[in-house]
Amino acid sequence: MKLKVNGTEHQIDVEPEMPLLWVLRDELGITGPKYGCGIAQCGACTVHVDGQAVRSCQLPVGALAGEVTTIEGLGSPEALHAIQAAWIEHQVAQCGYCQSGQIMAAAAFLDVNDAPTDAEIDRALSANLCRCGTYPRIRAAVKTAAAKLAEA
Amino acid sequence: MRLLVFLFTLLPLSATAQDGGGLAAWERIYQVTSHPRCANCHVGPDNIPLWSGPSYGDTRAHGMHITAGESRIGAESVLCSACHVATTQPNDTPHTPPHIDGDWRLAPVEFEWFGKSSQEVCTQLREPNRNGGRSFVELADHLKHDAFVAWGFDPGGTREPAPFTLEGHVNDMLAWGAAGQPCPGD
Repeated sequence: MKLKVNGTEHQIDVEPEMPLLWVLRDELGITGPKYGCGIAQCGACTVHVDGQAVRSCQLPVGALAGEVTTIEGLGSPEALHAIQAAWIEHQVAQCGYCQSGQIMAAAAFLDVNDAPTDAEIDRALSANLCRCGTYPRIRAAVKTAAAKLAEA
Repeated sequence: MRLLVFLFTLLPLSATAQDGGGLAAWERIYQVTSHPRCANCHVGPDNIPLWSGPSYGDTRAHGMHITAGESRIGAESVLCSACHVATTQPNDTPHTPPHIDGDWRLAPVEFEWFGKSSQEVCTQLREPNRNGGRSFVELADHLKHDAFVAWGFDPGGTREPAPFTLEGHVNDMLAWGAAGQPCPGD
């Protein structure tokens, strides 16, 4: 079967039941999305499908309908996405394991709410767990990114 | 369709022969609509889906601070489909998000069932301006074809299904309709 990830077409030979996360990490070597809980309770595996945040551990690749974007395709070191730049500015990451999922979830959220309140950020990102407890910095980074996107 | 014809042959008989047959059918329908498997996503204007079941203790708000928003599909924050992906492949492992072959969502807010009385749900379901514009035959048809309804009776894994069977529920809807959609308190 074929799938498009970060703008590149890939041909894969896997069972359609295989979760997208396995395809990305084990078949394509795209290891930005992380395996956390495997049951959509932590958000570490979040990627975009046609711009919408999806838990890739829950999506059988046979049911995939759209283009996949992972953290590797969101921005580049030379041209960071606003949320990635804000992440660095606020030094959000502690251990960093959850940040790929956090950033992908935040980027998708800013597409639907470009000026979120603290309460709205909490609503949208509570499905992404951070065991280091960096939530105040996550919230600050999302606000900074929203402000930067508003200027653009 | 064959079932429908069969029922229409029988229903006038049973409705007249058995006084209150329509209300008895309604009471079974209400056992379904008030069951947490169905009512947990037929919530009011707070737009927050509920979780309950043998492993949860009391009914509680959906985890992860989830709200489905006014869109009732989570479009304002996290789409229901971020986890409840549309696929024919069921998700039976305990505590995984259930999947159906369709878009996961809350029922429209005017179909609020959670915590509502038998009379309240009954009158809502028989009024076309509050039931999606459906006759009782169309209600039964909806039950037969909606992926959510089918899932409710067969949710997989260790999840508790809605009571009775889908076929029985469809038959009760038709029997209730053929009896004139009687409600408690009429």
